[in-house]
Amino acid sequence: MENVRIIPRLDIKGPNVVKGMHTEGLRVIGNPRELALRYYSEGADELLYMDIVASLYQRNLDFDLLKSVADGVFIPITVGGGIRSMGDIDNALRAGADKVAINTYAILRPEFLKEAANKFGSQCIVLSVEAKKTGDKKWEAYTDGGREKTGMDVVEWIKKAISFGIGEVVVTSIDSEGTRRGYDLGLINAVTSFSPVPVIAHGGAGNVGSFKDVILNCQTDAVSAASVFHYQDYSIGELKKFLKKEKINVRL
Amino acid sequence: MSKQKPKYGLPKEVKFCKKCVMPNTRPASCNEYKHTPGQKHGYLDFDEEGICSACRFNEAKWDGTIDWAKREKELIKLLDKYRSKDGSHDVLVPGSGGKDSVFASHVLKYKYGMHPLTVTWAPHLYTDIGWKNFQNWLHVGGFDNYLFTPNGRIHRLLTRNAFLNLLYPFQPFVFGQKTFAPKMALKFNIPLVFYGESPGEYGSKVTIDKKKFSQKEGETPGYELNPIDKKVKPNEIFLGGKSIAFYLKGGISMGDLAAYLPIDYGLIEKKNIEFHFLGYYIKWIPQEAYYYAVKHTGFEANPVRTEGTYSKYNSLDDKTDGFFYYSQYIKFGYGRTTQDAAQEIRNRHIIRDEGVALVRRFDGEFPQKYFKEFLEYIDITEDQFWKTIDSFRDSHLWTKGKGGWKLKYKVK
Amino acid sequence: MSDSSKNNLKTPKVVIVDYGVGNLYSLRKACAKFADNIVISEDADTISSADAVILPGVGAFQAGMEGLRKRNLIKVVKKFAASGKPILGICLGAQLMFEKGYEFGEFDGLGLIPGKVVAFPKLKNAKIPQIGWNTISAKRNAKSAKNLLRGTILNSVKKDPCVYFIHSYILKPLKQSNILADTTYGGHNFCSAVKSGNIYGTQFHPEKSGTAGLKIIENFIKLAS
Repeated sequence: MENVRIIPRLDIKGPNVVKGMHTEGLRVIGNPRELALRYYSEGADELLYMDIVASLYQRNLDFDLLKSVADGVFIPITVGGGIRSMGDIDNALRAGADKVAINTYAILRPEFLKEAANKFGSQCIVLSVEAKKTGDKKWEAYTDGGREKTGMDVVEWIKKAISFGIGEVVVTSIDSEGTRRGYDLGLINAVTSFSPVPVIAHGGAGNVGSFKDVILNCQTDAVSAASVFHYQDYSIGELKKFLKKEKINVRL
Repeated sequence: MSKQKPKYGLPKEVKFCKKCVMPNTRPASCNEYKHTPGQKHGYLDFDEEGICSACRFNEAKWDGTIDWAKREKELIKLLDKYRSKDGSHDVLVPGSGGKDSVFASHVLKYKYGMHPLTVTWAPHLYTDIGWKNFQNWLHVGGFDNYLFTPNGRIHRLLTRNAFLNLLYPFQPFVFGQKTFAPKMALKFNIPLVFYGESPGEYGSKVTIDKKKFSQKEGETPGYELNPIDKKVKPNEIFLGGKSIAFYLKGGISMGDLAAYLPIDYGLIEKKNIEFHFLGYYIKWIPQEAYYYAVKHTGFEANPVRTEGTYSKYNSLDDKTDGFFYYSQYIKFGYGRTTQDAAQEIRNRHIIRDEGVALVRRFDGEFPQKYFKEFLEYIDITEDQFWKTIDSFRDSHLWTKGKGGWKLKYKVK
Repeated sequence: MSDSSKNNLKTPKVVIVDYGVGNLYSLRKACAKFADNIVISEDADTISSADAVILPGVGAFQAGMEGLRKRNLIKVVKKFAASGKPILGICLGAQLMFEKGYEFGEFDGLGLIPGKVVAFPKLKNAKIPQIGWNTISAKRNAKSAKNLLRGTILNSVKKDPCVYFIHSYILKPLKQSNILADTTYGGHNFCSAVKSGNIYGTQFHPEKSGTAGLKIIENFIKLAS
């Protein structure tokens, strides 16, 4: 089994890292640069940096802030939030991003994914999906920071995006996120069961055991979390030690 | 500029608060029993710096003016006085099971050891999520509750009249909500009633030191109980913009209307029933109430943003809600987004620029989802609906162009 | 920030080639830890006069070559490589150094290192692209590894460091002697770093590989002084 990546996620709003519950009620957590440096020094494998109100406010993410965060952090950063054009992707890469994550605009215009993958390479383009459970083994994709329905089935949508050439997909459970009650294993499994591209699970991390559960039950390639790290339930180092003990390969 | 005088006593010059996004066309609450068509309202106060009274009120929450530790001591002293020794209900908490009433009741019970009785005046039309949250409040949170559902025929009639005559379909709910708690406090002999936020949070002319309200002469209540003097005649009391005399003539009895009328204030005074705001004693932050409610009773926000706004956790339980906010948008030129954004700016979750962006994007969005149900509920056609809406637009605020109706004043 | 004295060997001028595809910001930041004079440029003269050149890389092979071609940089880069001064290709940059690339078709590369760039074969229980951390092993007999790494970018790096990969295509150098390090992914062993005299290429991203990666960059910059 290859190394599983542990990826802390920074939700950005204005100058702050924020955290919501079911993507609502965004509380200020702290300074993006400080948190990024902390996670980098603790052994994070990557960072997810998402401006979660860019689409809601219909504005661009703050590239200067991104630069200041990327400064001093020498692990890959995936950047998302209001990415709507080739120019946005280019700006993000020039400001410190290694990969870009796209949600709202991709649903509006799926061909954008194809164009972006052709220009920048598949591995640079990550699909971000916010999923809300609508029935037994059924999830619907949401946009605009978890506020707008799309009527699109998550599994069908991801399949389509893969055919357009995305390199990776991060799947967030709106139902679980912020709750610290465990990942939505059904959702993650529904995606890992068919996805030929790496899947990053997000939403619901609780105790260290919940990471083990999603990795072993869903064969996910990477696991992302926010609340547990922001609120310092445990450090990344402690988490990785635990996973290694459970015979899960991680970079130590 | 319109040549006529603006309707509803609207201010001649429309201004937006420099701190939040609320305009000075936000009406102050009035005595609804005197509310007739074309009623002139009082409006939100702005000071010389162009800042509204709601913002000023909220500043005190944060800038150290209020000694919260001291206030908590006052709360504990008050509660110690009323706490029952045998576990019987010692405080009445009116609410719907939304984040605010969950927070208030839960804190009073589990943090301060009181024994609340919760009382609920039913929404016009329950949403699924509203009902679910209401049930979770009681079953997960652990509370006794009386739910009062008014006679649907009367309620619908009053709502219909309120919509057609006043463009205020929420009025019957407001009557009910206000009158129910005092009546229940009296009936169950519970002399302490706790409401949530102080009305000052939204701009009512009340000081930050207002911990409770009463009708005593000389006091500015800030939360009108609007008692009705025994001498007042049926043709002087209005429900839905029509006098009681009108309803009586139409075959409706006083008994049918009793639920909407206030209880005799003399009885309240006799029993020394006190009405307090929990927001005076505890720093009230709606977003924190959301987190609290999620944690303690499994409260669920709307899965999508509520129509007319960006928010997901405010006011979720009534299908007719959207039409109340839309009516407000038509009459006074600001909608649900403005309200939500203003509250979040005052509680420091978003900055003004973000509020402006949200208002420009979502304010005045038509609540399509329950439109058909609303029309059926008040028994009017779509055509009647739009005719009524348009008749309430004031040219002081609205102008009609090629693209339809547009607000003359937009926040920036 | 930059030392204008060209005679000062302690501050080599490191030029990062900007050819329209690449994550330049972090690379510059990483280099800036070890040298004052870091320049991002697409100007031929600037590149030619560098003490060391880095060809970064995020993107597709064809797009990469097109980017160089549009800016008239192909000759410039080839000339620099031939000059003996150190040049480092990273990820796509390393791939472009080869003779041919086979991503979305068949395309000519810079031809600095004999060999080609091909897709990963079908792997056991591993996804393509490889996205993540993996170990690189110096391609030598363990006993002599340390000595042979001296003077290379892998000098003094801890044994078998874990570094970051993100790629669907792999380097396939013709000569064994060009293989500096290899890696195993999905049961398949492939070349993860190449060396041909002063020409280096890493399939992985040293600027994204934490402290291990920074050491490699430091080593490279030292070669320029």
